[in-house]
Amino acid sequence: MDKDMADESVRMNRRTLLKAGGAAGLATLLGHQVPSWGGSETPVKIGLIDPITSTFAAMGQSEIKGAQFAEAEINKSGGILGRPLQIFVEDSAGNPGTAVDKASRLLSQNKVDFLMGTVNSAASLAVSQFASRHDKLFVCTGGHVDSLTGKECKTTTFRTCSTTWMLTAGDFETLFKKFGKKWYFLTTDYAFGQAEQADYTTQLKKVGGTVAGSALVPVGATDFSSYLIDVKAKSPDVLCLLLAGNDQVNCMKQIAQFGINKGIAVGGALFELEQAQALPEAARYGWWTMEWYWNQPNNPHVADFVKRYTAVHKGEYPTARVWFGFATTHAIRLAVEKAKSLETAKVVKAMEGLVLPPEIALQPGNVFYRAQDHQLMLGMFPGHVIQTGQYPNLFDVSEIVPGEKIALPASQTGCMLSHA
Amino acid sequence: MNLVLIFNTFNGLITGAFYALLALGLALILGLNNTINFAQGAFMALAAYFAYSLEPSLGFWGALAVAPLLAGVLGLVVEVFLIRRLYKRDPLYSLLLTFGLALIIQDLIRTIWGATGVPLSIPESLAHPLSQTYFFLTGYRLFVVIVAFAGTAVLFAVLRYTRLGIRIRAGNADLETVSALGVNIYLLRTANFVIGIVFAGVAGILAAGQLGLEPTMGDGLLMPAFVAIVVGGVGSLLGSLLGGLLIGVASGGTTAYFPAASEAVIYLIMGLMLVIRPRGLMGQEGLFE
Repeated sequence: MDKDMADESVRMNRRTLLKAGGAAGLATLLGHQVPSWGGSETPVKIGLIDPITSTFAAMGQSEIKGAQFAEAEINKSGGILGRPLQIFVEDSAGNPGTAVDKASRLLSQNKVDFLMGTVNSAASLAVSQFASRHDKLFVCTGGHVDSLTGKECKTTTFRTCSTTWMLTAGDFETLFKKFGKKWYFLTTDYAFGQAEQADYTTQLKKVGGTVAGSALVPVGATDFSSYLIDVKAKSPDVLCLLLAGNDQVNCMKQIAQFGINKGIAVGGALFELEQAQALPEAARYGWWTMEWYWNQPNNPHVADFVKRYTAVHKGEYPTARVWFGFATTHAIRLAVEKAKSLETAKVVKAMEGLVLPPEIALQPGNVFYRAQDHQLMLGMFPGHVIQTGQYPNLFDVSEIVPGEKIALPASQTGCMLSHA
Repeated sequence: MNLVLIFNTFNGLITGAFYALLALGLALILGLNNTINFAQGAFMALAAYFAYSLEPSLGFWGALAVAPLLAGVLGLVVEVFLIRRLYKRDPLYSLLLTFGLALIIQDLIRTIWGATGVPLSIPESLAHPLSQTYFFLTGYRLFVVIVAFAGTAVLFAVLRYTRLGIRIRAGNADLETVSALGVNIYLLRTANFVIGIVFAGVAGILAAGQLGLEPTMGDGLLMPAFVAIVVGGVGSLLGSLLGGLLIGVASGGTTAYFPAASEAVIYLIMGLMLVIRPRGLMGQEGLFE
């Protein structure tokens, strides 16, 4: 009897929980609807796939914030072709399989017109193939692997963030000239890290540098001490860290505690404001490349954007990932307006060579989607971490290198688009 | 033996002690509450976030003392309202429950503190190597080793020699007889669960001192803890300590020659142990011996 009572109460609780969950879910759905439109206009729909959970969540949420910020502003100023814009967000959990499942759901259930998103390279490649098979435009926001706009490029795929080649070329000269030619690579063991290491090695060998050693680190590693023993034993001039997301934060903290950055210059390719925020002062160091930075003196468009964004997000500053989401959403809008159509082929055509206006590009120079490989020619922001800086002043950009100058020429990327 | 190997063995012992510390609370809850607590990692992360929020006002040491207790209070609520209902059922139920709990806590952290990692600073005095040659031995890591050994010793002594410990062990061996003797078994199990979560809290905060503190931090810490327990033997605290040290050294040694396999090797050891000696290094039919 007692047991039955207990069971009943468990069941009741569960039911209540389910109801509460359902109500919460419904509230979220309602919250996403565009309020200011009469409902007679069918919205232009973009499916955004990004990690909301997993180790990539911080990056994913920044991209989503950027895209939703653009969505709100676009809708406030009249939408796209007089129709409201609606972005559907799905969680990829940083996993290629999940990303494709979600892309499939966005197409079949939400009937989205375009796809964008994915932080990590493996998921980007998977969604790119999926979109190509289903003849949908996919604009990659944040997966850097070269092959996405190289050997495995697709007519329907464009990319807003840089290639790993551009990332490595952004600060290679600085690291090499400033610190020396004997390098050690600590590289994350998947597509992104391996591509970065290959790109740095190519540039290093070209100018007579040597690779003192290298190690592939499994994703999600927590202990770097044994790797650092080997680094110290090989005593390189430069310790090049090619780790992603939180792994980089883990490693930088341990390097600082072991005092390794006192004798060896530490640097690498990609560095993100999200990572800098997670580092205590003692572990802030090194020369890196950002893909966009909020602090660009003498650029009124950037200042205005930062002001608008921080106002909406209560003092939170936009990161490069935020800009990826923002710029990609606007790029799709511009391409649709240019094509005056939502048809994939026409929008693709309109997007080839599309130049981002200064209020969207938010950086100097000519920023455009290169027609031959669909890669955005965005600038690189090499510089160094400000150790004693207070958020958001954590990075000092030494120069803004135009993307056109450092991207591999289209003829060397290995991309062969069928129509080009 | 070359120098790199000596370095890696020594370093592996330090890392292993850290794994053992992660395993301590988990082993306690597994052995005496008969619960495979998948939420252990999430509690570690949560306590570290508590410490992050408390650090500005209490300092590192104050936060290290208070935050695990806050996590313990939450552990109390979880045990009384959720885990307790499942003691009489198959352990699979509590495994599923704690797995769900882990996801909920992780999302809770993300909602409160954000998905972006936060910096938890450790005292400046500990953040340096103690020797130029053995640069990987920092004051902080030495402190972690001491906490791991002291924690194991204290728990071992309490369970072995105090009235509370004897009751907890007796209750686990024969629940009905002990409760017939007038001992409140539920209270004992609650106390044990809370102690296990407090240890998770201490381990989580110490982990966040050398790792990045972000919502998924616990995920990466849970697996080595489980492996340490399985290798060391379920139900044996000393076994967990040995298990932790063993996988630490194995993982460190592998990194010296084939880094990409440094994670896989600990699972290989676990697999071999399960085939050759399923009860682990020190696991026996009786508990804690």
